[in-house]
Amino acid sequence: MSRSDPVVVRVRLSLGRIDPRMEWPRGFVRFGVAAWLAVTVLLGLVYFGRAVDRLGGEATRNATSNFDDRAFGGGNALGVDKEALNEARGWIPARGTYRLLVGPDAADVRNYVRYFLMPRRPDPGAAWVLCYGCDPARLGDELEIVWWDAAGIALGRLPG
Amino acid sequence: MTVRALLGLAIGNVIVLGAGGCLLWGAHGLRSWTELARLSGFAYMIGVAGLGVALSLELVVGVPVRLATVVLTCVALALAGLILGRLLGRDAPPLRRRVSFGLGLVSASYGALVAVYVEAVFRAGRLAPLSNYDGWAFWVPKAEAIYFFEGLDEQFFRELANPTYPPLVPALEAAAFHAMGSPDVVTLHVQFWFFLTGFVAAVAGLLAPRVHAALLWPVLLLVLVAPRVVARSLEPQADFMLDYFFALAALLVALWLVERRAWQLNVASLFLAGAMLTKRDGQLLAACVVVAALVASWGARRFAWPRIALAGGCALALAVPWRLWFTSRELHGELPASGFLGPFDHLDRPWPALQSVVRALLDFELWLLVLPLTGLAIALALLAGARVLPLYAALVYGLAVTGFVWVLWSFTQLELPFVQDEGVNPIVRLCGSLVLLSAGLVPLLLDAAWRGGDCAERRR
Repeated sequence: MSRSDPVVVRVRLSLGRIDPRMEWPRGFVRFGVAAWLAVTVLLGLVYFGRAVDRLGGEATRNATSNFDDRAFGGGNALGVDKEALNEARGWIPARGTYRLLVGPDAADVRNYVRYFLMPRRPDPGAAWVLCYGCDPARLGDELEIVWWDAAGIALGRLPG
Repeated sequence: MTVRALLGLAIGNVIVLGAGGCLLWGAHGLRSWTELARLSGFAYMIGVAGLGVALSLELVVGVPVRLATVVLTCVALALAGLILGRLLGRDAPPLRRRVSFGLGLVSASYGALVAVYVEAVFRAGRLAPLSNYDGWAFWVPKAEAIYFFEGLDEQFFRELANPTYPPLVPALEAAAFHAMGSPDVVTLHVQFWFFLTGFVAAVAGLLAPRVHAALLWPVLLLVLVAPRVVARSLEPQADFMLDYFFALAALLVALWLVERRAWQLNVASLFLAGAMLTKRDGQLLAACVVVAALVASWGARRFAWPRIALAGGCALALAVPWRLWFTSRELHGELPASGFLGPFDHLDRPWPALQSVVRALLDFELWLLVLPLTGLAIALALLAGARVLPLYAALVYGLAVTGFVWVLWSFTQLELPFVQDEGVNPIVRLCGSLVLLSAGLVPLLLDAAWRGGDCAERRR
């Protein structure tokens, strides 16, 4: 390959455009832009591979999870009782109201149940009662329990 | 999670694209169908902003938001664009015009990489559960309340967390539910994929004829593969939506500063309104853009300032009705409890707040080197002799960082130094806006640096 080879000439011309010894500050700035781009291209390509890997893994994980896992989403992390919430959805009419009785440190559960049972409205005076880790006895004998489980979660209805 | 939901969502987004295309034609005009194809992402984002702002206003005045309302709003937006175009004498794009439509090696290769990336994001989001806390705690419940009760239900909008947060994203999510035929919170992630794809296409479409492909695509890809963007851009909440609107508004204002096309400022105004109606942080970011534009246009202030003020004023006017709605219902939480002067009682906070913000901005595990490289690009453009663009960019970033410090300083319930998990860290969320802004501004800065000054920037 001689110095007059067209490829060599093109490369020399291209490199000449980013020669930092060119007139100040043009040469320095162009060299800076070229260096800037080299870092960006390198970093972008490395992390492109990682991003596609990560997204592929996520896609596989999501595809292998079951319907309930997808439907409950954040509820899985909270450890909510899926069966209890599904029963509540089934028993309480879509435009009905309910009252949720939970322990004192259960703000997240309260928020999650409100989200999951939409469009049913929370109402402290509602006939439907979802007793989530509470003592159903405090509601008296009038509560008609329609569903309960061993974890102490109960769904019932008060008269009226 | 069904094909019907996906199909409905796709049709809904095509309608939004149509409305945005008409608005774009009215505001900007289109010389060819090739130009329309190039700007289709931008048209889509105009449609998203227009629909979001319009639905927010309809919710505030009590218009029931149903499927018909969403469709009619899109039709009204399209008609508005067509009427504007007729009034301004826009020509329809000619059916046959010889236009060169070729992709260079860089554009084709990077275009392929970005296509692979967005496809991977789609697959990851397609069946993703709604796991993110803010999503199920209030953003999606607000959307469901709009979907089920056709408006700003007094009970839910009062009881759900952050009742003063604006309704644009819940309104768009409710529109997506209508398009899907049910409140499908799994497929809802695909709607956010449309937003991400629209943003990427918008930035690429706007900048492709203005900067060399080698300056555009590597920057865009670097922003897209930043770990935080990869992990969280499809979460059904408002953070990335705010970032898209802010970045597009700031990019259009930058273009206006060097090209002086009226449509750029008009559309920027719409995106600023969108940002302000997306999250309360949008007001802070919009103020940064307006102030930076005012300072950067000091040399032409007689011409520029009334126009910038008008654009900012129009955006603000569109955001005011929501503020009236929530203040009339005595909902609070918009500003620090200590008021505007309260932070001065806590003078021990600014320094650790600044440290926390800088740490969040420079976190390699979140944003790679996007922001340090942005700083370098500003310096190179300044050194090359450009003035308007680097000054504007430095001011937007500088004012935004100052604003973030103020947020940490004034909300005294936030402990300093701020080391909260990045998933719920509000400063990390705010930083995303500056990172996405870099996707649009940095190619312009590098172009100015390469060409050597502001004069070259005016060539189009």
